[in-house]
Amino acid sequence: MKLFSKRAVASALFAGLGISGTATADCGSSDPIVIPTHNWSSQIVMSHVVGQLFEKIGCNVEYTSTDSQAVYEAVRIGDATIELEVWEGSFATSFNTALDKGGILDAGTHDAVTREEWWYPTYVEEHCPGLPDWEALAACAEMFARPDSGGKGVYVDGPVEWLHDPARIEALGMNFIQINVGGAAALWAELEAAAKQNKPIVMFNWSPNFTDALYGGSFIEFPAFDEKCKTDASWGINPDATNDCGSPAGGYLKKAAWYMMPVTWPAAYKALTRINFTTNHVGTMAMFVDVEEMEHDEAATRWIEENEDVWSPWLYASQ
Amino acid sequence: MKGYAWLGALVLALLLAKSAGLLPAFLDELPLHLEKSSIDTLGDAGKEAYTELVPFGLILDHTFEFMREELGVSLVTRFVSKRLKELIDIFDNILRGGRKGLGLSAPPWTALLVIAFILGYSLKGWRLALLSGGTVMYFAIFGLWKFAMETLALLAAAVPISIIIGLLVGIVAYRKKWLELALLPILSVAQTLPHFAYLIPVVVFFGIGHQTGVIATIIFAVPPMVRLTLLGLQRVAPEIVEAGKMSGCTNLQLLFRVQLPSARNELLLGVNQVIMQCLAMVVIAAFIGASGLGYRLLHKLQSLKLGQSLEIGVAIVLLAVVLDGLSRAWAEKKRDYAADLPFHRRFRYPILLVVMVAAAYLLAPYFPILEKVPRDLTVTYAKTWDGLVDWIVLNWSDGLTNFRYFLIVNVLAPLRDALLYMPYPSVLLLVAGLGLLLGGYYSALLTLAFLVFIGLAGWWDRAMITAYMVVFATFICIVIGIPVGIFSALSERRAKTALFWCDTFQTFPSFIYILPVIMLFQVNDLSAIMAVIVYAIIPAVRYTVEGIRSIAPELEEAATMAGCNTRQRLVHLQLPVAIPHIMLGVNQTIMFAFSMVIIAAFVGTIDLGQQIFKALSETNIGKGVVLGLCVSFMALAVDHLVTRWARERRRLLGLD
Amino acid sequence: MSEPVIRCRSLYKIFGLNPADLRIDGDGVVEPSILEREGTVTAVDNVNLDVSPGELLIVMGLSGSGKSTLVRCLSRLIEPTSGSVEIEGMNLLGMGDRELIDLRRSKMGMVFQNFALLPHRTALENIAFPLQMRGMKRRDYVERARRMIALVGLEGRENNFPRELSGGQQQRVGIARSLAVEPDIWFLDEPFSALDPLIRKEMQDEFLRLQSLLNKTIVFITHDFDEALKLADRIAIMFNGRIEQIGRPEDIVLNPATDYVSRFTSDVPREKVLRVGSVMNPPSEGEEVADRAVDVTDRVENVVEYVLGQRLPVPVVDSGDTVVGVMHQAHVLKVLFPSRSEPA
Ligand SMILES: Nc1ncnc2c1ncn2[C@@H]1O[C@H](COP(=O)(O)OP(=O)(O)OP(=O)(O)O)[C@@H](O)[C@H]1O
Ligand SMILES: [Mg+2]
Repeated sequence: MKLFSKRAVASALFAGLGISGTATADCGSSDPIVIPTHNWSSQIVMSHVVGQLFEKIGCNVEYTSTDSQAVYEAVRIGDATIELEVWEGSFATSFNTALDKGGILDAGTHDAVTREEWWYPTYVEEHCPGLPDWEALAACAEMFARPDSGGKGVYVDGPVEWLHDPARIEALGMNFIQINVGGAAALWAELEAAAKQNKPIVMFNWSPNFTDALYGGSFIEFPAFDEKCKTDASWGINPDATNDCGSPAGGYLKKAAWYMMPVTWPAAYKALTRINFTTNHVGTMAMFVDVEEMEHDEAATRWIEENEDVWSPWLYASQ
Repeated sequence: MKGYAWLGALVLALLLAKSAGLLPAFLDELPLHLEKSSIDTLGDAGKEAYTELVPFGLILDHTFEFMREELGVSLVTRFVSKRLKELIDIFDNILRGGRKGLGLSAPPWTALLVIAFILGYSLKGWRLALLSGGTVMYFAIFGLWKFAMETLALLAAAVPISIIIGLLVGIVAYRKKWLELALLPILSVAQTLPHFAYLIPVVVFFGIGHQTGVIATIIFAVPPMVRLTLLGLQRVAPEIVEAGKMSGCTNLQLLFRVQLPSARNELLLGVNQVIMQCLAMVVIAAFIGASGLGYRLLHKLQSLKLGQSLEIGVAIVLLAVVLDGLSRAWAEKKRDYAADLPFHRRFRYPILLVVMVAAAYLLAPYFPILEKVPRDLTVTYAKTWDGLVDWIVLNWSDGLTNFRYFLIVNVLAPLRDALLYMPYPSVLLLVAGLGLLLGGYYSALLTLAFLVFIGLAGWWDRAMITAYMVVFATFICIVIGIPVGIFSALSERRAKTALFWCDTFQTFPSFIYILPVIMLFQVNDLSAIMAVIVYAIIPAVRYTVEGIRSIAPELEEAATMAGCNTRQRLVHLQLPVAIPHIMLGVNQTIMFAFSMVIIAAFVGTIDLGQQIFKALSETNIGKGVVLGLCVSFMALAVDHLVTRWARERRRLLGLD
Repeated sequence: MSEPVIRCRSLYKIFGLNPADLRIDGDGVVEPSILEREGTVTAVDNVNLDVSPGELLIVMGLSGSGKSTLVRCLSRLIEPTSGSVEIEGMNLLGMGDRELIDLRRSKMGMVFQNFALLPHRTALENIAFPLQMRGMKRRDYVERARRMIALVGLEGRENNFPRELSGGQQQRVGIARSLAVEPDIWFLDEPFSALDPLIRKEMQDEFLRLQSLLNKTIVFITHDFDEALKLADRIAIMFNGRIEQIGRPEDIVLNPATDYVSRFTSDVPREKVLRVGSVMNPPSEGEEVADRAVDVTDRVENVVEYVLGQRLPVPVVDSGDTVVGVMHQAHVLKVLFPSRSEPA
């Protein structure tokens, strides 16, 4: 139930499936394949890419707007047929719960790697030259201060429901506080205002995201993540505290499907399992919409036209 | 007044005891609560710090679970959901074509244009024709066609269903006293429960997707219709009912041809409210998957496309204005029995309509632009608006820094800390005292009960934070809104303009201005309060204007004859007489503030709103509803006290 | 005398009384202690009434004396607390919904004190309303309603809504509506009170003309004694829910049954009430009389000028031109200037 969910761009990962003009396969059923769309542009483009490709193999497709958390329950009971973007960070819990209950299939993992971490737009390096090192950031704390932060630097975090623990700030002894926005859009508003005025800002972000193209930027380099960091206080630079490290650098990105899909739409399911997007693909799709201001379905059509070499190997693979 | 001195003394004693460190802990704070904090440690607000003294949330969870699993309510809700989807698909198909629904192909946009135009003209004349036709043009030209049609299909289902349910329930409640008595408190809660608290049970019972958004919309729009139906029926003069009976009406005839039509003003107001609520829900329902303009808007906001968001917001406002205008005009239409017209004259508008729509269909294949406005011909002024926002941010931010600093450090933080510092019994005592003063023991007990619930539910401190934002926002709204209202009321033209802007802003989706506010004030309570003020100031202005404009002309004439100048007239006549109505406006301002403060949690607050958003994200039904009730109860307590006072005042002035 | 059209016996309406607490004796009289009870208002108190076919009964009384409530009981717009009402021999209170509706659709009409027009309907539509309820065809009801409009002189106003009409015009719509179904029994609750004197007089004349044509059975409430005298066959005076006296206007003025009635009638211009027959002397042999006679049923008011202008007493004749009495100037003067001590 992410209000403005954060997975903005990364979701364009999937646009690969499809069949060349000559190939016509039997879809298996005339029932529509229900593809859920969420409220960020690349995910919608990707959904349309996949939908249009399914249509090429003779399937009926229906798009329905759903919440990005609730969708796993929907897939499980067949209200939706597939989910194209299962982010490890945000959706693993919901996805695993659904897997345990049964009714949902793991349809494979993409190559695209994602990252969620403290982030700053490139121009901040001018203010605080040591970046992206976290110690440099800690030394610059004052320039991130606000009238209401009591002299401490402010780290603008996502909504509370994303459950980022402020313990890291304490564990690393940084002179920072964390404030939570109410929705992702508020993050972008903060970013835009800061960038317009060339003011330093450090905030939560992820990649790939539309901010990459618009602002440029880097993640803060914290001590590398390690499982022990979460549980073992003696691990890491602060011998007395857990959480003295950054977030994991890469999480999986999966596809999911309703358990009846292989039976009902075998051709489409086969295609789905072969789909594999890279970060680059996602970026392109996102750019079509967020920068070139195309509509989602037009962007999908264009991506399919321009990337036949990407998706045809998936389609022409024997079997 | 004197009789309440002991209450004040008690409060003072509590505060003194606390500052002297003598207050026992159980009289100071409720067991577990948000960490008491000065503003610099509020960063830890993400921590969920609450303990229910009574596990309301759990009880609710179990109740809902029981209803869903044991009583089989979910079978019913699923069925309803499915049928509703079919209905929406039909409307959607009629408006947008496609395979769903009836399988029709999309009508050319010009067909809708002529329908809107002729409908407007035949119902009211040129102005409405231009407005409704212009709105359809706007959708097409600004490239919002698809989304507008989706929203229209949603409304085509939600508005009539809400009206019908509201009417039916209202009628039954009118006839059955017990139902009325049971319904009134439910309606009160329903109308003050924050939108987002509704969404959780709706999702749980009806699943996800477009139709769930429609159901949420309906649930939200029904209460005012019920209330106004009931009110309208009760207000019909008994003699009119008797006249109906003497005319030989059966019960049904009496209802449909005498009572309901006589209650028309209230019913129309109800329809108007339904339309407004539905349009207000267009955006909020998009949070749980309703597609259309609202969904588009959220998506545009998500990538910070403020200009485009603004254009979508305007589309929503236009839709509201047109639907409201058309429904009003339709209801006010009178038949002319005198004119014995020939067929082609009597049916001239339907005939014209059929001809024009047929023409649109016939011509569309030859002139594609009549079929669909191609994307490269659509226009947008988004860049201009974006530029304007940029300019404001660039040029005003620095100037506002000091202002922001001053407000946050010297006003807001102390206010919040003071409220959090107060031992909870002192707050209860103050509220009880206010209740006693304004409405006697009943009021005192009622308002107390509302607050005690919040304490027992474990949300006391967050509720205090919500309360402080509402109090401050209301204060600013009164200080600005009432003078603006007075100024506008002094001339007929200004009054009209003011009311027009009130209408517009009330339907304008608030999410759109939240973002520029953040850009100016950053993420903090001040931003949230600013957003609340923008919205909650509307009733303060509106009721002031209405209160002053609706003073009986004889009174105004008396003032003129007494030789009053403008100032004297205002001070000695207009304000004293309008004050009860203005107080109702203040009350509405507070209600609006409570509803908006939850939406403003979108900025990033640490109050009840933040937790409601969180509960929504976790689909935590019990927690969400309890939080919603906390907000609702605070609002109801205030509402009770203010309306009491205003009623008493009106009675004293003999205005009833 | 023929069978009464309206007949009620021991009729009570006690507002605010729990029906379970009601106690009645064998004659249908409610136990007096009940009437005194806290929180109850006895609006109709043991009323017995017969109205014959074609009779015009006027009900008078102070504000709050129960006139409207009585009429509402007779039309069963409110349920009487106890007692019986018969309409043309049928038990009104025992009727089911269907019968009651039929009765109202065919037999009863009512004009309301506050007009009670349907605000959403034009004048014409209001008048047509009872006809529509009866299921009449559009063409027919429009036509009939138009006739009614003409009857009450509202041509040109048929498409105005009630709020666009003056009080008098609204009441005329109300009258036309009640007449549209051509009822046999007609209840009028202060129908002319909102009209200006000129129109009121016109309407009264019109009303009399209609009545002479239609010969309906009418119960008519008014506060205006002039109006009552002009129209009434009989007058009933109500006080605190009781009918203090019922009878012909002269009887009431000449022989008030109670103090209340005599106070109520004390300011009535008696020349308008009394008829020649009730003040004349019997004819005496050989008395010299004026050559032109007056009619025994003439109101004194109408013969004052003539009688006072004569040197001699004036003979009084009945409809058969037989002399039945003589009228002296002193008789007239006594009617015009009654002395307090000497009852007329
Ligand atoms: N629905 C009611 N409930 C309680 N009391 C009522 C009700 N209707 C009338 N009464 C009371 O019954 C009494 C008689 O009222 P009614 O309207 O019959 O008087 P009325 O003679 O018609 O007076 P007016 O000349 O002012 O029309 C009044 O005291 C009134 O207050
Ligand atoms: Mg009356």
